[in-house]
Amino acid sequence: MIAAVNALVLAFVLAPIVLVVWMSFTPAAFFALPTGQFSLRWYREALSYPGFVDAFFLSLELAALAAVLALAAAFLAAYGLVRFRPPGSGALTALFLSPLLVPAVVFGIAMLQFVNRIGLYNSLFGLVLAHAVIVCPYAMRSLEVTLRAVPEEMEWAAMVLGPNRMATLVRVTLPLCARGLLTAFLFCFLLSFSDVTVTIFMAGPSLQTLPVRLYTYMSDRVDPTVAAVSSMVVLITLALVLLAALLGGVRRLVTR
Amino acid sequence: MLSSRMRSEPWRAAPFLLPLLALLAAWFVWPLAQALTNSLHPNTPQGIDAGQWTLANYARIADPLYAGVVVRTLRISALVTAISSLLVYPVALATTRLGPRREALAILAYVSPWLVNTLVKALGWNLLLRPTGLVNAALGEIGAGPLRLMLNETGVVIALIPGHFMFVLLPVWAALKGLDPALGWAAGTLGASRAGVFWRVLFPLTLPALIAGLAINFIMNTTAFAIPMLLGGLRNETASMLAYRVNLVMLDWPFGGAVAVVLLVFTLLLVWGGQRIATLAVPGPRA
Repeated sequence: MIAAVNALVLAFVLAPIVLVVWMSFTPAAFFALPTGQFSLRWYREALSYPGFVDAFFLSLELAALAAVLALAAAFLAAYGLVRFRPPGSGALTALFLSPLLVPAVVFGIAMLQFVNRIGLYNSLFGLVLAHAVIVCPYAMRSLEVTLRAVPEEMEWAAMVLGPNRMATLVRVTLPLCARGLLTAFLFCFLLSFSDVTVTIFMAGPSLQTLPVRLYTYMSDRVDPTVAAVSSMVVLITLALVLLAALLGGVRRLVTR
Repeated sequence: MLSSRMRSEPWRAAPFLLPLLALLAAWFVWPLAQALTNSLHPNTPQGIDAGQWTLANYARIADPLYAGVVVRTLRISALVTAISSLLVYPVALATTRLGPRREALAILAYVSPWLVNTLVKALGWNLLLRPTGLVNAALGEIGAGPLRLMLNETGVVIALIPGHFMFVLLPVWAALKGLDPALGWAAGTLGASRAGVFWRVLFPLTLPALIAGLAINFIMNTTAFAIPMLLGGLRNETASMLAYRVNLVMLDWPFGGAVAVVLLVFTLLLVWGGQRIATLAVPGPRA
């Protein structure tokens, strides 16, 4: 019995995603479930619509910048916490993870009012920093685990042989954390790439990321073009998640 | 020796902590504090009047005009959380019995709606639930319907369930995995039926995880934005949509700040409360 319930819930959870991908291949001029004939016409349509193409590249740029920034800051902070155990480590960790507790709407409102006040409305810089804040708890959580797994003795050994702490950090610790850094990067990138709410609240007219463009488009009309764009988004998500899974990082991020 | 030297100089951590602290102070703590102070000033046609202090923005939320939004948001969220709580045990139990490989795949499948962009899910539910959608087409085949399944609260509830199901499933699943497999067997040898094993052993032992998960699920529902907007429509305004209208259409930032503060306080109370109830739920040692 419970196996049947599980199968039903699984279908319920996956149905909308599968359906979007399936319908994006329709040869018809409207939404239909293609059965015999499949076509890429809506993909051509989507790729020839500059609104989506520009938004896609903006989203890539934003996600890459935000992820790198968050990773750099979180890596240093995790290193400081794990290796030196400064007083108040618990409170610092709580602060570093606290963006998780703030709903996207709330952060979006605060950022909207803030970037307007300091004259950074509609600037990529302001948006990149906001996305870095959103993803930094994930980077922090993942990199702390990664760093704890790097034996401190290796760093001592290196330092005994000559290089100072910074050189050791760059030439010994960083390479040892490469896999963890890459997994964390993939997740931070994906989370930034997917954000709708914060971006809708704070981004100005010239910062229409792909999710924001999709949202505006869908508020107006729904046609197979959005299904094609959505399918490409699903494909990118799937690729990132599979890559992260291969690197062994999924469980670390979704369970505590 | 080297290690003890490092430990005795914890201040050397400072330069490593500084970049992240600076980022969070400038782009997280400060903006939130500013939204809070904005909410305590009156709004005037010339902008925010920083010279005066008031609580009027908070009183406005209780206005019948907006109270309906609050009630609707809570109603939708409670319904989604309740349905998720009914589904979670069958799913979690069935998943633990799948065997390691298929179990990992099932968990990934349940997590995927959270990883896939909300708008993709919103589009999928639109295609399923709209008047000419797949569900109504199927109902038409058997001579039933059509049902009005979107641009109302029903659509919002249906579409929110899968997106936030993982927040209940993962803690419960992890708690079930953490139990000694011999527990069920032991209860069985003592005469408990399968239902007895569940209600008197598995359920109480995983209740803290369930409560913590339900609290998170509830918060995610109350603060959802795109799904209520696209499946509920403007006429079924929820808290996040109101926050959008006040801040970006009415441009009333003091009132918008008050909405943000109330949502944040509500969230923190629920997280805190959920964890407190979770620790109180089971006396004695916990897994």
